[in-house]
Amino acid sequence: MKKLLERRLAPAESTGALVLTSFCGILAAFIIAGLLFIPFGGNPLSAYGFLFDAAFGSLRSFGLSLVQSTPLMLIALATIVVWRAGLGYIGFEGCFLLGAAAASWIALSGTPQGFPWAIPALLYWPLVLIAAFLAGAIWAGWVGALRVKFGGNDVLISLMANYVALFIVQYLVSGPMRAPGDLPQTPRLPVESWLPFVMNGMRAHWGIAIALVATVFVFWLMRATPAGFEIKIAGLNPRAARYSGVDVNRRQMGAVLLGGGLAALAGLCAVLGVQHRLMEGISGGVGFIGVVVALLARLNPLLVIPTAILYGGLEVGGSAMQRQTGLPTSVVLILQSLVVLLILAGDLLRYYRINLPGGRQSRSPLAEEQS
Amino acid sequence: MNLLMNLDTAFFVSWLAAAVRLAGPVLLAALGEIYAERSGVLNIGIEGTILLGALSSYMMAVESGSTALGFIAGGVGGLLVGCVLAALYLRAHASQIVVGIVFNILAAGLATWIYALVMGNESSPTIPMLEPWHVPLLSSLPFIGPILFQQPLPLYLTLLLAVLAHFGLFHTRFGLSLRAVGENPRAAHAAGLNVLKIRTWGVLFSCVGAGLAGSYLVTAQIGLFRDNIVSGQGFIALAIVIFGRWSPLKALVAAFIFGAADALQLSLQLFENTLPPQVLLALPYLLTILAMSGVVGRTLQPGALTQPYRKE
Repeated sequence: MKKLLERRLAPAESTGALVLTSFCGILAAFIIAGLLFIPFGGNPLSAYGFLFDAAFGSLRSFGLSLVQSTPLMLIALATIVVWRAGLGYIGFEGCFLLGAAAASWIALSGTPQGFPWAIPALLYWPLVLIAAFLAGAIWAGWVGALRVKFGGNDVLISLMANYVALFIVQYLVSGPMRAPGDLPQTPRLPVESWLPFVMNGMRAHWGIAIALVATVFVFWLMRATPAGFEIKIAGLNPRAARYSGVDVNRRQMGAVLLGGGLAALAGLCAVLGVQHRLMEGISGGVGFIGVVVALLARLNPLLVIPTAILYGGLEVGGSAMQRQTGLPTSVVLILQSLVVLLILAGDLLRYYRINLPGGRQSRSPLAEEQS
Repeated sequence: MNLLMNLDTAFFVSWLAAAVRLAGPVLLAALGEIYAERSGVLNIGIEGTILLGALSSYMMAVESGSTALGFIAGGVGGLLVGCVLAALYLRAHASQIVVGIVFNILAAGLATWIYALVMGNESSPTIPMLEPWHVPLLSSLPFIGPILFQQPLPLYLTLLLAVLAHFGLFHTRFGLSLRAVGENPRAAHAAGLNVLKIRTWGVLFSCVGAGLAGSYLVTAQIGLFRDNIVSGQGFIALAIVIFGRWSPLKALVAAFIFGAADALQLSLQLFENTLPPQVLLALPYLLTILAMSGVVGRTLQPGALTQPYRKE
């Protein structure tokens, strides 16, 4: 008789198995995180109900969730492009910060804290987008170059580079870009430099459009262009790519430049759309949560949209929940990370096959993990 | 030259003593991390581990009233975290970087949650901190004494561990196996070593070190718990490991350099000076990047760092 649980030689790769294991991971994460409400006197179901209502219940709150998800989307896209090329770059915090700094510098043009000459209104938007994108591309680019040209470890270098970026911004807001006053921050950006709201009654700004355009672009790039194809095979098997004539170094550099630029646009959205001034701690770890979003979307650009909106919504709903019911918002952080960890752990299930007695071989990898 | 006039012996003594003080916790975390990385596991989750270690240390110290017990509790907390992390790093089919990043976010949430659960909204009590221990005779040495021998007990423990870690890594059979597994797991497996088991030890050492570093922060430096207590010190420990070229004794020097830069910018803020403090703060990171870049000399990182190993 066959064993009830049999180890496969290779993991089940069918879409059904993937969806099912991912679903189990998400479900388990929601159940576990839900239990965390109980010691605080919350009913998990009503807590989740409140949370999702506060995140997506009205046009206004949905707009807030979109605002929160915009940087996540852009950073997730950056992660996809860079990681698909086979790099381990995780310096998106740094790109985000410098993008925010460059955007504020242009937005403050004509003032002592910004770009020295006033910029005509017509040129402002192209210039600010280009400046932020370039700042991020350059910031990611030198790390990429160290990896590609000299074989440096891009994971560790980019982690360290985050701190250097942090100190650069700290220097800018306490030195050349500082507003008169006690706090190390720039003056408030002029109102006409802000990202306008998409429509009245919905607090979403046009940054979401930037993110959506970027999503379509990355999807098109990876799916339908030779460059995207070469980026992917450079990441899957650099040696094979090289033998088939792909300039792996060039593709990896291209990917890291684009990724850095996209992450910097996230910084632009945060500073022109939400904070309206540059200060320390503006990123709040979004550079890492964005990576988590990309992972949850399994590095698929289109899946980034719903995933980022879910994660942004969780943050909005979580803080509303803490304000109004006193349930801790830290559960949201736990949920956000637990989902990914359990999906990763759930991948182990795809190595097993369940042999139900009498039945035909089931593909269901459900079995054990919920216990 | 206002600056130079202030550079007398007292300045140097207080600066270097602060450097040693700041270097302690990160060095402790770095020592453990060296073992993980030498076995081929890049434990980015060290940041979250320090946080959870600090939390368990603080709660134990508050509950038991004994700071010493609190210090030990951090190590135990680290060990528990290590068991989870080892399973994720070594068994789950995911990249170590992914596991580490996600774990740090989880730890941040978990620490805040546990703290809110246990302490509620009441103001949290400070715990009695470990007093600096003046080493007999040595502490009265001029110059060296106040810098090195008037520090809290965990510092001496850390220094002792640095020597032990060096001995363990380079002069024992276990250390040899650990390095072999980190350089070339396949060859190590062929030579009869149990790769996953040895890597598990590497991760456990790293997490105990990180947990104790958390205790160190709480029991000897801050006396409180806040969820931003770690604020990047885990990543500094990673930098120290690289800057110290994956060797415990060199990491000791590296930690001191990082501490010195940090302490110097703190003291220089007292004076009128033209140099922005961020330059000093960024300098150790830039040196670390240079050490990692492959531009100067060969990088000596373990050959199989971040490479997962699966049994065939």
